[in-house]
Amino acid sequence: MSLIENLKSYSEGINVSSDKKKLLTSFFEKGFPTIQDEEWKYTSLKKLISEDYSIGKNGSILSDLDISNHSLGFENKIVFSDGKLISTPKIKGITFSDFSDFECSTADTFLQLNSALANNGFTIKVDSNTIVDEVIEILFFTNTENSFNQYRNQIIIGDNAEIKFVEKIQNLSNSTSFVNHFTQIDCGKNTNVEYNKIQNNTENSKLIDTMNIFQKEDSTCNINTLIFGGSFTRNNLNFEQNGSNCESNMNGVSILDKNQLADNHTFVDHKQPHCTSNEMYKGVYLGNSKGVFNGKIMVRQDAQKIDAFQSNNNLLLSENSTIDSKPQLEIYADDVKCSHGCTIGQLDEDALFYMRSRGIGITEAKAVLTYAFASEAIENISILEVKLLAQKLLAKKLNVDLDFSV
Amino acid sequence: MLKIKDLKAGIEDNQILNEINLEVNAGEVHAIMGPNGSGKSTLAAVIAGKDEYEVVGGSIDFEGEDLLELSPEERAHKGVFLSFQYPVEIPGISVSNFIKTSITELRKATGMKPIPTKDLLKMMRDKMKLLNIKNGYLSRNMNEGFSGGEKKRNEIFQMAMLDPKLSILDETDSGLDIDALRIVANGVNKLKSKNNATIVITHYQRLLDYIIPDFVHVLYDGKIIKSGGKELAHELDERGYDWITKEANKK
Amino acid sequence: MSEKKRQTEEELLEKVTSAEYKYGFTTDIESDTIPKGLSEDVVRIISAKKNEPEWMLEYRLTAYKAWLEMKEPEWANVTYDKPNYQDVIYYSAPKQKPVLDSLDDLDPEMKKMFDKLGISIDEQNKLANVAVDIVMDSVSVATSFKEKLGDLGIIFCSISDAIQEHPELVKKYLGTVVPHRDNFFSALNSAVFSDGSFCYIPKGVKCPMELSTYFRINEAGTGQFERTLLIAEEGSQVSYLEGCTAPMRDENQLHAAVVELIALDNADIKYSTVQNWYPGNAEGVGGVFNFVTKRGICYKNAKISWTQVETGSAVTWKYPSCILKGDNSIGEFFSVAVTNNFQQADTGTKMIHLGKNTKSTIIAKGISAGESNGNYRGLVRIAKGATNSRNFSQCDSLLMGDKCGSHTFPYIEVKNNSSKIEHEATTSKIGEDQLFYCNQRGIGTEEAIALIVNGYCKDVLNQLPMEFAVEAQKLLEISLEGSVG
Repeated sequence: MSLIENLKSYSEGINVSSDKKKLLTSFFEKGFPTIQDEEWKYTSLKKLISEDYSIGKNGSILSDLDISNHSLGFENKIVFSDGKLISTPKIKGITFSDFSDFECSTADTFLQLNSALANNGFTIKVDSNTIVDEVIEILFFTNTENSFNQYRNQIIIGDNAEIKFVEKIQNLSNSTSFVNHFTQIDCGKNTNVEYNKIQNNTENSKLIDTMNIFQKEDSTCNINTLIFGGSFTRNNLNFEQNGSNCESNMNGVSILDKNQLADNHTFVDHKQPHCTSNEMYKGVYLGNSKGVFNGKIMVRQDAQKIDAFQSNNNLLLSENSTIDSKPQLEIYADDVKCSHGCTIGQLDEDALFYMRSRGIGITEAKAVLTYAFASEAIENISILEVKLLAQKLLAKKLNVDLDFSV
Repeated sequence: MLKIKDLKAGIEDNQILNEINLEVNAGEVHAIMGPNGSGKSTLAAVIAGKDEYEVVGGSIDFEGEDLLELSPEERAHKGVFLSFQYPVEIPGISVSNFIKTSITELRKATGMKPIPTKDLLKMMRDKMKLLNIKNGYLSRNMNEGFSGGEKKRNEIFQMAMLDPKLSILDETDSGLDIDALRIVANGVNKLKSKNNATIVITHYQRLLDYIIPDFVHVLYDGKIIKSGGKELAHELDERGYDWITKEANKK
Repeated sequence: MSEKKRQTEEELLEKVTSAEYKYGFTTDIESDTIPKGLSEDVVRIISAKKNEPEWMLEYRLTAYKAWLEMKEPEWANVTYDKPNYQDVIYYSAPKQKPVLDSLDDLDPEMKKMFDKLGISIDEQNKLANVAVDIVMDSVSVATSFKEKLGDLGIIFCSISDAIQEHPELVKKYLGTVVPHRDNFFSALNSAVFSDGSFCYIPKGVKCPMELSTYFRINEAGTGQFERTLLIAEEGSQVSYLEGCTAPMRDENQLHAAVVELIALDNADIKYSTVQNWYPGNAEGVGGVFNFVTKRGICYKNAKISWTQVETGSAVTWKYPSCILKGDNSIGEFFSVAVTNNFQQADTGTKMIHLGKNTKSTIIAKGISAGESNGNYRGLVRIAKGATNSRNFSQCDSLLMGDKCGSHTFPYIEVKNNSSKIEHEATTSKIGEDQLFYCNQRGIGTEEAIALIVNGYCKDVLNQLPMEFAVEAQKLLEISLEGSVG
């Protein structure tokens, strides 16, 4: 059966509200987007949705070892196993709870599907003036073979709060898995939030991750996306600035090989004056891998004094790797400074020779230069453990035994 | 240590080096001088193994091994060091990280364990003193935003750290003011021993006041047309290159 | 600085009192028009009026049938009421035909018009060394320097004449770069084009003068569908200029042209456009809809360079493109696009790299004022076999006033790992410190803007031949008058 058929038979066996039924009907009428759809022009879902998935099944219980093997070692952990929330930390000023439904725009097909059928996820409420020094680690484990899971998460951050997250989605079986993941973050006034996504799942894992962030005035939100694993990754990262003096920062590093595909869609909606956004996405493509970048900066009328900066740099390191990039600016206010830059190229031959003449072997020299290329984005990550992990994964992916942490 | 025999090399169809012969022994300092375009930098690049130059004849023997058979990094592992005329900027890589990687790789090639980072940093600080390098330098990105003098000093700093057998200094003096020149030359002199050798490529005599050569060779049109002692450098400084090139053309 | 250039810059500094469209007069010339509307019969009438051979009629009818099945594109970031294609007159020729043997025979009314346009088709023209073909409404009315060019084997005439006199060339190349099915407007053009320019440069010939076509829509309610075909044989070289104007009218006029360039091995084509169709009035009423398909193909070592200064039209939809088929071929695109009041422009280029070592450069400068919207839309595609290809793109937008918009939509598709692509885009306001500096030196704001804009566009304006550069500078200034309150 294909995913659509799986979903049909799954939805027939459960009770949903009439609103959700409407969403489902409309979803089944439209089906999944195709490459005719401008937002999916370069990323085909055809193969992904033709596979057979099991929905709503629970596998074996997680062992502590599974958790510690995949954790970055933070004390405060939220852990999911096949959709079930199995552990939450206790931190003063923060309420952790299980899935609770909330409204969101359903213009996007995957959000529509998520709204209609997701019944797993977390809700985090951070009280105003809460400053959390510890990092909160969120781990989603998939235990069941060939599973399709949907998560729907909400984080509400009270005014003047500060908090940091690290998120990992991990498939414990070697079979295929598909996660349709949605997280909404509401940043209160004067908040400071950092959210790190480590996308290093197993070879047959597929992920569609949508994150909608709503910022109130004087808030800063940093999202870092690190893609090393998984066969198919689509990230939709959307910022909406609803107050003045907001800052939205995005860093992305993708290092892909074999037949991996990573598609990063970002959208920053500058609706209020005196705001900034900074975006830096670096892609390295080996083997038959394919990269897609689609970054849009929108400045609404009257949103004056906006500084928006976007860069997308790519290295094509193998004959069959490809990249499609679509940086976009849509500007309706005049007193702004907006720019984007996109480069596609190779490692610098002179730098390679320079390094080799210093005794560094060609594989290592290439790795060092690749690290140098990606480092600008990695350096922007404030959590040391994440930074070190990124460096380690990069070395591993490039088959070198090098330590970039000096 | 180094024996170059009848070396012919060029880039694409353009032959730049025509039968170079040169022998360098441990403990010696050789200066190679010559006007612009005579092939000095090409010679340095061919010894270091730059791909774009094609060797069409002759041989380079380094301590009994055929250097031309080796990749650039293998040559470095054997102890060949080239101080670049134009050091390359590598944004995103700190000086310390770069040198650490380089030393670790050199040691790996000779079957040695990596030096612990702590010891390495101490070693770096010691060598920095030797070259009057200020603190904070190690965390700067490789050559990025460095002044000309800083770049050259960085080259000699790496030379000090890597402790090569044969150092080739390609126009290390160009663009340096007299103070920087003294510091660089001082560094080179302190690193000199009876076990290593240096080839200084320059077209000014000035540097040779500080790094005293045992031999001076004049390179012209891809050939060494005259060799002599350090007094040849002074003569060149006074009389220019014309008299030698005329002499050579007569032959 | 040459005397001519200095004069221009001085003129730029002179306060211009009226910001009105300067070319908005109609010319009282009797014309031969057919009734409104489009049908197979109309296509047949056009073909018959032009006494065309059977193959040409077939070509038109195939295109017409294809058009019937196509939809008007909606992906461009422009909004307008779609023209009623049955409300357009598809053929209008000045009655005074056929093409004149001598320019002295020209209708005095028409001559007056050309003088107003500042087009020199007489003595001064000969001094300027520009050969001109003039297309009024849909028909070529005058071509100068025909003989002189003929001595070199250069053919420069209206496309109608070419169909009669050089059918083998037209048949061989027409529709090879822009197939009739390419898009809605190219299909329409292929069905109903009534005239345009044809140019053929023989092997190894360097065209000794600039070739120029002036297009003018005169008759009310007419659409203009000109077709340009330019063939540069191996090793030849040509520089071609194109200018457009239209009278002020309340209703929208339709212009849907197709330009095809063929640069064979080692050929070099430079194609410059100053587009100044009537943009509509300050309230956004009237103006020309400019839906144009321009494309060139480069064979080995060939080069095509597009330069455009776009100041007119109510709606512009235009992407002069290069297919870099041959190894080592080069494509260039230099553009200034100005929108003011309620104008909308969606313009840019496509660089399709197919051959090895192909290079392309894109410099696009957009200026938006009033309540207008300017869009840059571009595609750089590096095919798998396009080893060692290079592209550099720079797209800048300048905004004046808080009601206008400026948007950038580049598409970059790379399937070859030895190629290098660099794309940069910036959007910013006209520099207040620059304005202040000028003000402080006694230069008024309008003049200061003209100066700054001129500097901002210099990289593009410098690509234009002298005669056009002068006109383009003036146009830029006129277009932006009244944009700062």
